[in-house]
Amino acid sequence: MELPVFADNIAERIETMLLFDEASPMTLASGFFLAAFIVFLTGYALVRRAVALRTIYVAAFSLYFYYKLSGIYILLLLFVAFNDFAIGRCVARDRSRGRSGRRWVAWSVAVNVGILAYFKATGFFVDLLEGFYGEGTLDIGKVVAPAGVSFFVFQSISYVVDIYRGRIRPLGHFTEYLFLLSFFPKMFLGPLVRNDDFIAQMQSRDTAPSREDVGRAARLIAGGLVKYAVLAKCIGVLLVRPAFAGEMGDGGIVALMAVYGFTMQIYCDFSGYSDLAVGVALLMGFRLPQNFDAPYHSATITEFWRRWHISLSTWLKDYLYISLGGNRRGRLRTYWNLIVTMFLGGLWHGVGLTFIAWGLLHGVALALHKVWLAVVPGAKPVGREMPWWRRLPGVLLTFHIVAFGWLLFNASDMQQVAVMLGNMTRNFDASQIVPFVESNWVAFVMMGIGYAMHALPASFDRGVERAVVRGGFVVQVVLIVAAIWCTMQCSAMLEAADVAGAGLPIYANF
Amino acid sequence: MGSNRKSLFRGWLTAVCVAAGVCATALIPPAEVFGVKLHRTNILSCLSHFESDERDNVVEYEADMERLEEQIAMIESTQAVPAAAADSVAADPVTISYEWRTDDFSPVRSARRPSSEELRPSADAAIVPIEDFDTLPQSRFDRFVERLVAGEPVRIAFMGDSFVEGDILTVDLRHELQTLFGGRGVGFVACDIPFATSRKSIKRRSTGWSSYSIMKPKAAPESLRDKFFVSGYMAEGGAGASTRWEPTEPYPTLAGATTARVLLLSRDDSRVELTLNDTLSRTFDISGDEALRQIVVESAPYRSIAVKVLEGRVICYGVTLGSDDGVGVDNFSVRSNNGHAIFGASPVINRQADALSGGYDLVVLQYGLNIMQASQRNYSKYRDQLRDMISYAERCFPSAAILVMGVSDRCVKNDDGIYVPIGSADALSAYQRAAADSCHVAFWNTYEAMRSMGGMKGFVANKWAAGDYTHINYGGGRAVARALMLPLREMAADKMAVRERAEQAERRRQMQIEEERRQREEQMQQRLSVIRNMVDSLAGDTLTFHKEE
Repeated sequence: MELPVFADNIAERIETMLLFDEASPMTLASGFFLAAFIVFLTGYALVRRAVALRTIYVAAFSLYFYYKLSGIYILLLLFVAFNDFAIGRCVARDRSRGRSGRRWVAWSVAVNVGILAYFKATGFFVDLLEGFYGEGTLDIGKVVAPAGVSFFVFQSISYVVDIYRGRIRPLGHFTEYLFLLSFFPKMFLGPLVRNDDFIAQMQSRDTAPSREDVGRAARLIAGGLVKYAVLAKCIGVLLVRPAFAGEMGDGGIVALMAVYGFTMQIYCDFSGYSDLAVGVALLMGFRLPQNFDAPYHSATITEFWRRWHISLSTWLKDYLYISLGGNRRGRLRTYWNLIVTMFLGGLWHGVGLTFIAWGLLHGVALALHKVWLAVVPGAKPVGREMPWWRRLPGVLLTFHIVAFGWLLFNASDMQQVAVMLGNMTRNFDASQIVPFVESNWVAFVMMGIGYAMHALPASFDRGVERAVVRGGFVVQVVLIVAAIWCTMQCSAMLEAADVAGAGLPIYANF
Repeated sequence: MGSNRKSLFRGWLTAVCVAAGVCATALIPPAEVFGVKLHRTNILSCLSHFESDERDNVVEYEADMERLEEQIAMIESTQAVPAAAADSVAADPVTISYEWRTDDFSPVRSARRPSSEELRPSADAAIVPIEDFDTLPQSRFDRFVERLVAGEPVRIAFMGDSFVEGDILTVDLRHELQTLFGGRGVGFVACDIPFATSRKSIKRRSTGWSSYSIMKPKAAPESLRDKFFVSGYMAEGGAGASTRWEPTEPYPTLAGATTARVLLLSRDDSRVELTLNDTLSRTFDISGDEALRQIVVESAPYRSIAVKVLEGRVICYGVTLGSDDGVGVDNFSVRSNNGHAIFGASPVINRQADALSGGYDLVVLQYGLNIMQASQRNYSKYRDQLRDMISYAERCFPSAAILVMGVSDRCVKNDDGIYVPIGSADALSAYQRAAADSCHVAFWNTYEAMRSMGGMKGFVANKWAAGDYTHINYGGGRAVARALMLPLREMAADKMAVRERAEQAERRRQMQIEEERRQREEQMQQRLSVIRNMVDSLAGDTLTFHKEE
């Protein structure tokens, strides 16, 4: 057996590894994180019962991890944290003096939305201006959004609004708020947490995982890694990216499979990373909310949004839809609010026609479904309540509406949407399916695994979880090691094939 | 201790064991399971490495001038000895060249001589000149063009990277040159390459070889590592190893080769079989020696040629398909090479191959694509390396002129995902030109030529280049080859015009001499006839006189 040879300048190399590297930001799926997490857990065990010390400890590590992810943008995180921490206290003071504190909320929302708008929309407006006045009119360079900016901005807005609504009391210490905002498992891609629930966990004297928690964490981490770093990555790199870039020709099959591929890719990518986050937090004894619940099982679009990116749709409902008046101002206003909410949700992904179209598609679909529920007797909001013969077409229809949405979502512009739809309708040659699948079989195997895993009923999932929990320590460790080995094998193979893709999740851009 | 007791220890232990387990997976060696190649997963790869994995590592060779001179001196001394010693000492000289002339062989002269008018590019062609920095009284590049114009056999070694892989560019350069000056065949073709490639101008089917790339020498057994030729690839095989080459006919000049030279090295005695057109075979017994040897075939134009090892072990480099005269262009392209691979090639082998080919007349160095970076504008280090490469090429191919081809244009994605010109190609070109200048060799600015044809963007729009905005395809290769031919043709046309004028003057002189001779002869005739008349009349008188007597 051959043993590794260690480099001579290990100390020097480790030193560079500790610094932020723009070319490889740290994710929860990186080897560096695994090593750092062990160091973290060791110290965490020591300070676990001293709540104040523990808060400082976790906040400090979270900030460091954010630095490893985003570099200098850590200052932005600190600014947002400080701003809203102070505003939270001001709102509470106003409330205690009988005033509403509205102006503070407005200030917080203005600052936060301003930050988001700057990072999301600058590029769009520069392009627009340059379209009118020629290239180079505004030379401000490319604006790159800091990792996870949307998530901490949303979290921060919800904190101020919750205080305003009287749902929580402001936190007493700044480090506590830093902890809430930057807690490292959720900092990058969420899930967004409910403030009252998270604060209770944060302040609890006994935060540690039970045996069952560790087992569940093992399954979440292993499953999440495979979904995020094997399935999504392979489908994306081998099929979706080249197909959307037009490198696979203009066949209808290519366009259709690219859309089905992306539909699975974005689910595996995002839900895999969320599972990873939930699992990591669970190892520390923190329970983060479930973010995905087999979304493509949905029989209606309303159900889809209860199963897809649950923490965001809850957030949009609580802080946007309800602020707009929700469903309390009459039926028409309800439809309008749904469309506006989804329109803004689309806009949040990026200022551009494709995202607006995506938001409107979902908004209009949600509103139409509300109309359907109101006018069709016996219509049900979710598939669970339907007989199978109504549920099945519902699932297929919903899946295809959503998949069409993903086409809008992933296309570079509306022209590409038109081209791909054109290919699907005018250039569809069913005999091309077999050769296309044969020449891209790896991507299709991954896609097949993804859809097959998704098609399994929830009871199967629970069964696996129980088995892992009961299997005990060795099974859990072997499971995670096997998953990590698969991800490393996968990236080595992709690298050998010279198609190594970007290492960051899709939602890192949003 | 209930199962719901909360404990951080268990989570911590899980993480530690996972880390240990993941580290331990590094000990699983790379393997192949059910046809799937598994890689080594070393999570500590940034801190450690496995020696055996280095087999696949690309090596960055460094120039070692002293060693080069040592080896060259050694070759020159050994080359001098056998010639002198062969007669006096009864040493058995090693056969370097094995020859096979088929019965149907008849020497055909394929060389042709174009007129200066045919050579001269049209007046409106945008010519990017070949800059010749030679300081010799007759520059070496000039001498090369002179040989072309004089109709002497000309051998060109075109060394490049993936830009010309698959005979891109060179296939058209060869075709253009052979159309103008004659010559047949696709030049050098490797015996076996350790990865899949395709070449439009020839089909190659090889089996049974272990092949190695000069870029990954650690994959080769140690005893072979110092045997690389600038071709970059060697194939080593025992009984049964074989390769068959069949030229395809995209261009009429490329097929119809009448000679083939198989380059091989057989350390121990071996037996090799050559087959022409799948029917005509001949076996050669090669005596063991460290020298590079060749089997030369001369035949009527053939469709295919195959080499097969029957006994012993043989290193085969490849075969050169060509003709006795005219132009031959050998494509020596090595993927991801910056040109430094020449430092890793054996000067001995290079020298021997050069001698076997009859001496290369021109070496083209086409590199730079793999070193160029969008943000980098200073390539002084590469310039110095390029100087060494030029020196190596000069020492290994002593009769050749050197032409440095500048880096080609390419585009890179900007932040918005749009391809824009790389912006550092002109900088790298300038450094390459500076290297050529200081080494007194010729330089041609590929970037400038591509830019005048619309740049890489224009190439992609024309479907002359791949979607990576880096590699040109055959169409783009033809465009660049024609652009390179323009200054060459102009230089040749100038020389041909001089030659034509000289010949015309010579003809005129000849005619004048002829005329003078004729005139002299006429005069002589006239004089003769006068004399004859005189004699006749005199004789008549005499006769009369006699009669009268």
